[in-house]
Amino acid sequence: MADQKTLGERLAEHGVSRRAFVKYASWLGSLMALPPATSRAMAAELAKAKRQSVIWLSFQECTGCTESITRSKGPTLEDLIFDFISLDYHHTLQAASGEAIEAARHAAMAENKGKYVVVVDGSVPMKDGGIYSTTAGHSNYDTLMETVKDAFAVISVGTCAAFGGIPKANPNPTGAVSIGDLVKDKPVINIPGCPPIPEAMTGTVAYLLSFGKVPELDHLGRPKAFFGENIHDRCYRRPFYERGQFAHAFDDQGARDGWCLYELGCKGPITYNACATMKWNGGVSFPIQSGHGCLGCSEPDFWDKGGFYVPLSGSIGPTAKLVGGAALAGAVAGVAAAAVARHRKASLNKG
Amino acid sequence: MNAECGHPAPAASLADAVFAELAHALARLAETGEETVIDLRSLPFGPTDLEALAEKLGDGEVTCALEVAGRSEVRETGFAGVWWVRHFGAGDEIAAEEVHVTRIPEILVSHPDDVAFAARRIADAVAASPQNEPTAADEEDMSRG
Repeated sequence: MADQKTLGERLAEHGVSRRAFVKYASWLGSLMALPPATSRAMAAELAKAKRQSVIWLSFQECTGCTESITRSKGPTLEDLIFDFISLDYHHTLQAASGEAIEAARHAAMAENKGKYVVVVDGSVPMKDGGIYSTTAGHSNYDTLMETVKDAFAVISVGTCAAFGGIPKANPNPTGAVSIGDLVKDKPVINIPGCPPIPEAMTGTVAYLLSFGKVPELDHLGRPKAFFGENIHDRCYRRPFYERGQFAHAFDDQGARDGWCLYELGCKGPITYNACATMKWNGGVSFPIQSGHGCLGCSEPDFWDKGGFYVPLSGSIGPTAKLVGGAALAGAVAGVAAAAVARHRKASLNKG
Repeated sequence: MNAECGHPAPAASLADAVFAELAHALARLAETGEETVIDLRSLPFGPTDLEALAEKLGDGEVTCALEVAGRSEVRETGFAGVWWVRHFGAGDEIAAEEVHVTRIPEILVSHPDDVAFAARRIADAVAASPQNEPTAADEEDMSRG
């Protein structure tokens, strides 16, 4: 837990030189579009930093965000982040349980008062006294508010923590809210996505650790370095959109030729994320490259935007706040989905 | 080159633009010692642009292979002081690619803290070496003078 060694000293003990920091900072600086001088400063600061205490709280979530951040292929550049942090509490990864792990959380909070980072995945149920999700006999709300009290910053990982996500989808039976709806007196950084790109999560933690400050955020609290660009603008299929070449079914000639998926409901034009540039699984691919439109999973209420397979021009309906409108949008989505399904069936029969 | 067959010169590519920028950067390094780093991943290069730039820069005398949190390659180009640096990440994919205009890229230099740590390690190794314990043979040698 508390550890007075610097990260440089820790790595040196494992036979890894300060070069690792130079390399890590080059990579991260490139991902975050930092000026080279800033990357160099980051390398120096990281080597001098102490391990960052991280308390990870899981509320109404599916653990997909943890899967994303821990899914990599061996001891590589991307894994160095796990040497830079001390993960003092995490339901899925911790070995301890029961009172011992709750005591560890309290100890980490006391030892790192004002300095620890709280990562949250999952939304918080507020209906009926928050009884729909509890840990150690406490509601998620109580655990969250107790834990963030002395935190330096809070990172909402995944769309559930950032915007309420799927638990908040209509009709939101548990009264789910985002972390930003509840935590008002600390910096809250949103890293949405279902799940988020691992580099966006680790990059943000490394930035906090190196510079002791929150990176520049957009109007939805997302780091601009990762969420500053539109999927559509950076999509390799964009030239087909410009030429008006659209796939109309997932198995038509247009789809086979890699044409634009706009008419199949791609939400790329309204989605800000780094999938089109950083891609997934070590840069292998991303949904559009695999032949499926973007679901817009890094945007608020992506689940309630009228249907994944409805073109944008017909799908941006109002959400929970306007029940009538939402119902109408749902009905439109249903009709359109049925139409797509019929079309697909017809195409299959032909094929 | 195209003048002979009467074709107009091709439009300047991104590789040409970066090459020109490197010329300025190298002049600055020569005159003032100011270093420059160009992040190639931040530029909208196509694969042929990168090849074209690599061809213009050519090969130099030094190629280094590093094994630090995965593989890295550092290569001096045909222009002294212009280095091509590639870092590999998961799946041996290129994670970062830069051109450094410097006398030596920072990643090749031993960090003072690493040197201090190594100095302690080697001193401990010398102290722990059995040769430093006086043996009967040593004492006999000494008595013979």
